[in-house]
Amino acid sequence: MTCEEFERVLPELGDGHTTEQEAHLKSCSACSDLVADLNAISQQARLLQGSEEPSPWVWNSIEVALQQEGLIRQPHLARSQPPAPLLGWKLRWLVPAAAMFLVAFGVLMFQRGTGQPPVAEQQTPPVGVETAGLQPMAGDDLQLLKTVGERMPSMRAEYEANLRSVNAYIRDAEESADSDPNDEVAQQYLRNAYEQKAMVYEMALDRSLP
Amino acid sequence: MTDAKKQQSNKLSEAEAIERAKLGDAEAFEALYNLHKRRVYSLCLRMTANTAAAEDLTQEAFLQLFRKIGTFRGESAFSTWLHRMSVNVVLMQLRKKGLPVVSLEETMETEEDAPRKELGADDARLAGSVDRMQLQRSIAALPPGYRMIFLLHDVEGYEHNEIAEMVGCSIGNSKSQLHKARMKLREILKTSRAEKAAKP
Repeated sequence: MTCEEFERVLPELGDGHTTEQEAHLKSCSACSDLVADLNAISQQARLLQGSEEPSPWVWNSIEVALQQEGLIRQPHLARSQPPAPLLGWKLRWLVPAAAMFLVAFGVLMFQRGTGQPPVAEQQTPPVGVETAGLQPMAGDDLQLLKTVGERMPSMRAEYEANLRSVNAYIRDAEESADSDPNDEVAQQYLRNAYEQKAMVYEMALDRSLP
Repeated sequence: MTDAKKQQSNKLSEAEAIERAKLGDAEAFEALYNLHKRRVYSLCLRMTANTAAAEDLTQEAFLQLFRKIGTFRGESAFSTWLHRMSVNVVLMQLRKKGLPVVSLEETMETEEDAPRKELGADDARLAGSVDRMQLQRSIAALPPGYRMIFLLHDVEGYEHNEIAEMVGCSIGNSKSQLHKARMKLREILKTSRAEKAAKP
């Protein structure tokens, strides 16, 4: 068997070789080196399976989408484990920035979607808006629900549940962050909570726009 | 706990998580995501060689899975089901972009893509010294058609008949593409090693 003949059948070879192929490998160092190299590449490649990790926001996006689609019927009210910290990041400055982003984003989206005046001119919700046993909702949230109710009445209850869930998440995160301002995990936790709320607003307004 | 018991415990946890996810349990969804996120993401990352695209595709694969989880009856392993879905998501994305999933005709390959024949060449062996990081870089440098088959077979462990069905080629083509991918990787790795050795 020549080297050309051996390489011609090489793609078809699995783990076993015929007697003739074995004999050729024993007598030809070039072909035996080739087979050894290809096997080493294949074996090392198997170790690459599942060796990379996605960033935490991927799960956050999936969770929000699942909530919006009604696939999560028992949303988180409190997490047993905070998300993994972003190594080397100092997140303290991101917390007020994320809060400002949320408010600004909400204002911009409302103005775009409803033609309403800026938030400062809106009235705070009247006393007694709290549903029995539930936390009162802020004016922005109530305005969002009103908009959703006008444009997608069938979705209002779901958005209200989602907003209550994400507000509870924010309250938990704020408590954690306030108890230890140096805790980077808590700060990231809070940032994620604000991002989730921004996503809820964005999805509600994207769906309700014509 | 022994490895066998750990495996059994993990299997029970996954089965429990699947049943709870069908009922809309948020923690169950997250548990399933955490169990499989690395493998799905790694696959998407190596196929696209782009972090942002890989994260988008990972998200899409899991969302498709979770939307259909009510139909999962356990005929195949959950991981197999998820993995096939991930591969389909990536393939659809590649096709949308007009990128070749696999070279259906070997004559379509360019001179640059095809590995050089080195019969009788007096090069040092790679065996026993394939650097993992260098291999990852080399895989990213493969033409898309070779890369797809190599990832599915050598990294993810699919058989040629499964690959042929997924990407729409013949078993013979899958074997041929795999061989060429490995030969090309060998060439890239040797070139890289030679360049390193030549540096002062």
